[in-house]
Amino acid sequence: MADDGPNKYITLVSSDGFEFVVLREAACASPTIAGMLRNQMVEAKTGRCSFAEISSIILEKVAEYLSYRLKYKDKLDVPDLDIPVEYCLEMIVVADFLGLDEQMA
Amino acid sequence: MSRRPNRRIMGPQSALTDFLATHHISAAQIRADADARRRAAQRNQDEPGEEQSDQVSAPPLAPEVTVAPSPALPTRTRGRAATEVTSREEKRKKEQKVIEKIKASKKFQKRKRDLDDSDDEDDLALAIFQERSAPLPGQMENCAVCGKRFTITPYSRGAPDGGLLCTPCGKELDQKGGAPKKKAKRASGGPVGKRRQMQSTILDGTYRPGAKSLMTLCIETLAKNIDLAEDLGDLPPLVIDKIARKLSKHRLLNPTTLHLFLQPSAEEVYIYDGAKLGATDYIKIFQTVPSLKRLKIRNGIHFKDEVMEYLASRNIDLEQLYLHGSNLLSQDRWKLYLEEKGKSLYSLRVYWTDKHFGDEVLSVLEASCPSLERLKVSHNQQVTGNGIKEIAKLKSLRHLSLDLRNQVRSDVYVSLLSEIGAGLETFSLSRVLDADNTVLDAIHNNCRSLRKLRITESDVMTDEGFVRLFKNWANRSLLFVDLEKCRQLEASHPRENPDNVGFCSNAFRALMAHSGRAIRHLNVHGCRHISESAFEDVFAPGKTYPELFKLEISFCEEVTDFIVGSIFRSCPNLRELNVFGCMKVRDVRVPRGKILVGVPTAVGMVIEGDDD
Repeated sequence: MADDGPNKYITLVSSDGFEFVVLREAACASPTIAGMLRNQMVEAKTGRCSFAEISSIILEKVAEYLSYRLKYKDKLDVPDLDIPVEYCLEMIVVADFLGLDEQMA
Repeated sequence: MSRRPNRRIMGPQSALTDFLATHHISAAQIRADADARRRAAQRNQDEPGEEQSDQVSAPPLAPEVTVAPSPALPTRTRGRAATEVTSREEKRKKEQKVIEKIKASKKFQKRKRDLDDSDDEDDLALAIFQERSAPLPGQMENCAVCGKRFTITPYSRGAPDGGLLCTPCGKELDQKGGAPKKKAKRASGGPVGKRRQMQSTILDGTYRPGAKSLMTLCIETLAKNIDLAEDLGDLPPLVIDKIARKLSKHRLLNPTTLHLFLQPSAEEVYIYDGAKLGATDYIKIFQTVPSLKRLKIRNGIHFKDEVMEYLASRNIDLEQLYLHGSNLLSQDRWKLYLEEKGKSLYSLRVYWTDKHFGDEVLSVLEASCPSLERLKVSHNQQVTGNGIKEIAKLKSLRHLSLDLRNQVRSDVYVSLLSEIGAGLETFSLSRVLDADNTVLDAIHNNCRSLRKLRITESDVMTDEGFVRLFKNWANRSLLFVDLEKCRQLEASHPRENPDNVGFCSNAFRALMAHSGRAIRHLNVHGCRHISESAFEDVFAPGKTYPELFKLEISFCEEVTDFIVGSIFRSCPNLRELNVFGCMKVRDVRVPRGKILVGVPTAVGMVIEGDDD
């Protein structure tokens, strides 16, 4: 993925303006984000993906998950990532939006 | 005894002394030691404050009354109140010292990890201190509240301000709500539990290496805390379905959680475990989801007559009905429902309702369900050959699965196939012990669009019959083949199979020649007479089976390491290979991303490949 962008990091921006910098490789686990970074999208050029409907609390967890996923890629015995119970439902919606469900490769 | 050490003449003595003597323990010695200790203790009591730090909770027996106690105080508190101020300070200093020591100890550090703030730290140190200094079980002690003398047990409660309580006072304290809060036991998450969990998911076929998806993590968290959820909100149906599955797996679906899954706009309701739902809950489903089209209920024990009556009376026309375990439904209500609502029904699946779903119900289908495409009757004790003759009249049928307990003669199946075989895409016969080659010939002659074929546990069909079926068959490639336990059953000479009974070598070659291109799922579990050379031919170097995803060759005795290796080479998309009971499989290298289940070595029954 490093060849289609100059930087190996990208920035995720939440609705309230917080920015999370994650590895491009990690972020592309989400087909939605990968799609934003492909082709001649604005996001592909700037390396910034804004999510107007995701709050910083949720997006922080998403960023954490993306890194966690990259870290345990193809590993056995992966410890579970804790999801805060109170944000569980919102997380499900966001996970669905970002395509972070079973169908992903 | 010491005077006459060599003679075995003994006076009367207790059995215990006798016993102790055999273990070289002298009762007299013990008594002498105890007396000495008692004397020493007495001396210490006379000088208060000496040994106190070790026995804080033991009330001083003979304190000097220097600070006058208030006369209103009951006698039992006299001792403590009367302790000298100086000695008390001294005692406190000592306590402090011991507590500091405890804080530095390993045990403390270990327990501290569970806590966060420093307040808890002090409390913990104090708790350990009190634990240590408490008198041992079996000793006598005065109750800290009522002053009665009692024997200490491991269960004796501590008084809030030090000391121990006798049983009645302890109970009283418990009732007042002073019971110490027991920490909820944490679910086993250690290496053993994790390993077990992983093996379990591998056997479920849902395992994949790497982290779980975010969705799965969220759903798991949600399932753990489902009692906190009031409404699932606007989640996509697929997600709701996943949550429902997860909940049912933990048997958490009950009348209170049911409403989470009933969205008024939904067209489908899948209940994977309805064991805890009552008849009214089922009726509630139809009340809340008026546009219901697809209904699936497993373990629907209370899906009773009244529910069926209600369903038949409502303006709900189901397209799919899947009922599992609804044994309380009577035959009349089945007929009533099918006659009322059968028109829209195109899929009817009935599992484990062995009592009232029989030939008569099947006889209604022809007239009342003109568009029925899928019919599954599984684990049924009522349906007989007559019922199958009724099924043969259903020209619209595309998918037919039967798992009957009554043995049906082969000619019934033959006539069934000649009637409706041409249209069938799925034909599944489970546990047909007596079905013979005529059934296979009927499939060969009639079926042209079959995609899924299952014939299990026939011990009459022969290799020749299967070869005739697959050779020059005008049917497309099958996608799903299950021929589990089609093998010769002969206890007297289990290895010899002169008549080639069952699914054997040539049949296997013929099947793969016919369907190898597109087959996705193959099960030849227990087909013991497929020879080594047949496996080697089928999975020879030049041959590939690009679609094969799941292969089950358990209890095929001739499978060797070489064959397993060939299978991995010939099937690039294979995900899971089952080799239970293949005792010649010893040490295979499994490619990355493939799962080999059932290797009979101590290494483990599952090998997840990591060879590149």
